[in-house]
Amino acid sequence: MGKDLIIEVRNLTKYFTVTSGLFLQKRIAQVRAVDGVTFAIHKGETLGLVGESGCGKTTVGKCLLQLYQPTGGKVFFQGKDLCRLSEKELRPVRQKLQVIFQDPYGSLNPRFTATDIIGEPLRIQGIARGRAYRDRIVELLNLVGLASYMADRYPHEFSGGQRQRLGIARALASQPSFIVCDEPVSALDVSIQAQIINLLDDVQEQFGIAYLFISHDLSVVRHISDRVAVMYLGRLMEVSDRDELYKRPLHPYTQALLSAVPIPDPVVEAHRATIVLKGEVPSPINPPSGCLFHTRCPKAFEPCSTVTPLLADTGGGHAVACHLYPASQP
Amino acid sequence: MAPLLKVDDLATYFYTQGGVVKAVDGISYEVARGETIALMGESGCGKTISALSILRLLPASQVKIVAGQVLFDGVDLLKASKKEMRKVRGGNISMIFQEPMTSLNPVLTIGRQISEVLELHQNMKRRETVQEVIRLLNLVGIPQAERRMRDYPHHFSGGMRQRVMIAIAISCRPKLIIADEPTTAVDVTIQAQLLELLRGITRELNTSLILITHNLGIVARYAQRIYVMYAGRIVEHGPAQDVYRYPGHPYTAGLLASVPRLDEPRKTRLTPVEGQPPDPLYPPPGCPFQPRCTYGVPQCQRSKGDFVEVTSGHYSSCCLAQNGVTPWEKT
Amino acid sequence: MAVVASTSQPHHTLWGDAFIRLRRNRLAIAGGIVILLIGLGAIFVPLISPYGYAKQDLDAILQGPSWGHPLGTDALGRDVLTRLFYGARISLAVGLFAQAIVLAIGLPVGAFSAWVGGRVDNIIMRLVDVMYAFPDILLIILLRAILGGTIYMMFLAIGLVAWVNVARLSRGQILSLKQQDFVTAARAMGASGRYITLRHLLPNSLGPIIVAVTFNVPRAIFAEAALSYIGIGINPPTPSWGNMIRDGYDVIFAAPYLMIFPAIAIGILMLAFTFLGDGLRDALDPRLRR
Repeated sequence: MGKDLIIEVRNLTKYFTVTSGLFLQKRIAQVRAVDGVTFAIHKGETLGLVGESGCGKTTVGKCLLQLYQPTGGKVFFQGKDLCRLSEKELRPVRQKLQVIFQDPYGSLNPRFTATDIIGEPLRIQGIARGRAYRDRIVELLNLVGLASYMADRYPHEFSGGQRQRLGIARALASQPSFIVCDEPVSALDVSIQAQIINLLDDVQEQFGIAYLFISHDLSVVRHISDRVAVMYLGRLMEVSDRDELYKRPLHPYTQALLSAVPIPDPVVEAHRATIVLKGEVPSPINPPSGCLFHTRCPKAFEPCSTVTPLLADTGGGHAVACHLYPASQP
Repeated sequence: MAPLLKVDDLATYFYTQGGVVKAVDGISYEVARGETIALMGESGCGKTISALSILRLLPASQVKIVAGQVLFDGVDLLKASKKEMRKVRGGNISMIFQEPMTSLNPVLTIGRQISEVLELHQNMKRRETVQEVIRLLNLVGIPQAERRMRDYPHHFSGGMRQRVMIAIAISCRPKLIIADEPTTAVDVTIQAQLLELLRGITRELNTSLILITHNLGIVARYAQRIYVMYAGRIVEHGPAQDVYRYPGHPYTAGLLASVPRLDEPRKTRLTPVEGQPPDPLYPPPGCPFQPRCTYGVPQCQRSKGDFVEVTSGHYSSCCLAQNGVTPWEKT
Repeated sequence: MAVVASTSQPHHTLWGDAFIRLRRNRLAIAGGIVILLIGLGAIFVPLISPYGYAKQDLDAILQGPSWGHPLGTDALGRDVLTRLFYGARISLAVGLFAQAIVLAIGLPVGAFSAWVGGRVDNIIMRLVDVMYAFPDILLIILLRAILGGTIYMMFLAIGLVAWVNVARLSRGQILSLKQQDFVTAARAMGASGRYITLRHLLPNSLGPIIVAVTFNVPRAIFAEAALSYIGIGINPPTPSWGNMIRDGYDVIFAAPYLMIFPAIAIGILMLAFTFLGDGLRDALDPRLRR
């Protein structure tokens, strides 16, 4: 493993079984939420994970943090396989792995004060107490741009953007080296999003934290990521360096995604051709055969419905899973 | 030619235990026949309330329309009787809501929900509506219409449900459709499908469209004119191209500058709009944006929000915008 | 980089906020005052009343309301008003203490079932269903036969048949709270199941449970009265509103007020708790805030 590789995920799979029945619970279906995902993140780096709802990106994040037990595959953090650790062994490691959630309302306990919320990792992990505890709380509040006198306030007394700052402060409390950011700005107003994105940027630079930045917003992902992975129905379609992906998107799904994002400029929009995909996203219980995207792909041809393309490097670290590119042939 | 809809100085207040919230504080806008306008703003700015006020769909107890006129085809809807309003809703003006989960009745088939509108407004009998329902479902791109009209809302995905909502909205050939954040709850590829569909339909039927959204990109792609709302007031309005090229209000300029754009080189740092929207119970004096504004002058606290012309047909309520010369940069 | 404070509103804790809203509800306050007065009366009746509840005065039987006996006397010459307040002790005690048993059993069972989930949850809930279907009266008669007619039996009997609803309620609350992001966040910090249940789940599920328990009280009061009326409740001479009504039935034509006064008392106390419960429900509903 490379010297500054902080996260390595190999062939991660997570299936959810749908059961029914009174006592015996027969399995009637299986949702393939994540179906063989492989990637790596280096120290201080941001990997953007994009995809639409249901593609499994949030599940990937939760599997990484062992909040779901993966069905298969390995998750390495600084060389240790997290899937093999018991909950007890995992506990100290959790200081270094944290998460920021999308919903600024649901991610904070409404009965906790800001101090309780931010200090929770310190209390649970036994990191600080008494004077040191209080000082650290004030330090964290200031770090995320909140005034110290707000320490005794309740979540309902903060705005959405401020609540997100609380969530970020909480994630930073135990000095993590890796944070899963699960759609951290999607629920915020446009004028506040930029504030929070800047904050995340600053924090990363100051503390050298690696991010897995999960989002459906391609413009935001482009701004904050170093590398980007595109997910569809539980599998990766394309992975590459950020600039390369946005300049030369290889996979038809990536192309459609980029084309679907409206640009805030009427003149540009008037001259833009849009790729409008047909059909709906297939159900993850009954995914298509071969290439998962072939049912909606404007460029689908002969092998797409029967042979699954591999995620393969086409050169320069730009990997794609599509039969249009010979590297993807198994 | 007279506009199809003219909202004049509309004001809607909420009476809460904490005080009066001026959700809509004197706004005016108009829509011409066949035109698509955007009512753009962030959460809490009053854009949804203003739309609900037009159709008088507000919960009567805490909310009141306290002033203004809503002239639709020359008739003031605020003075219309309840019976007349029921004819207007769904018949002349229809609305598409944001949340496809909750806007459809879960215990009725979607065929029944579409035919309900037809029965109410076109005086059709249930049997006669079947053909029309199939035609509408085909129009909005729902395959196997005959079979699917007997399905219930939970059998459909979010995008499909919005299509059903669009079908309901156009079923009686309304002159105006109000779409309140119609694609906020769906993915970006479905959003593209739905908005293209809506654009196609409004062009074909020459229907006017009010697009309520916070998404600067959607406004740029689909709207001809835009009204920017902030804290219950309209702070800028004009043709979309002009407003984007020469924003006449620091809020608009701030929003445009803060959004990362796919077609421009990547910035190392975004320029956010600092601060946050005002507390609706305690609005600041004068211009509502002034606490967050980097260009404020003492005059701003006394500003009454009168419009000044920035370019032809393009107005701003900022006292610093005169004749297209503004202290902030053009985009 | 300091950021402006969000709301200019006065700072309240959540319970404080709920209390303020409760204060505004006149019916709830009225209910609370009635309960308080009846409670105080029930506690201090030995000091205030010149009569005991068992003191018979065979020269003064079946007298209507008078200055000496504001609500009259019964068939054995006992003062009705005094007996009513002694009876209030029973009603209040049963109403409230039965809830203690309901909470002690129902809350942990529901919470545990919801937290563990899966097959265990399934099995526990089926057992709860069986308990729910079991006829309450049979259980009470059984307990009565074993334990006799003391007030403690009443607590136990009524508590044991009523915990089921609270179990279901707490399970439902905890199931929905389990999905919330702040619980996931706590897990990501390495919190144990016990910590999460005690610090996150239970405090947030209290609202509806408090309301349910408040509404259970009038039901318990009525249950005790009904049981005492048919004779399997509190033994005489200890007055309970239920057995007072039964005694009154024997002389219904001579002194109808002997049935009416206890019945009114039951009605007033039940109504007071119901108003209070309504007010609590509105005050604790986070959506109705502001």
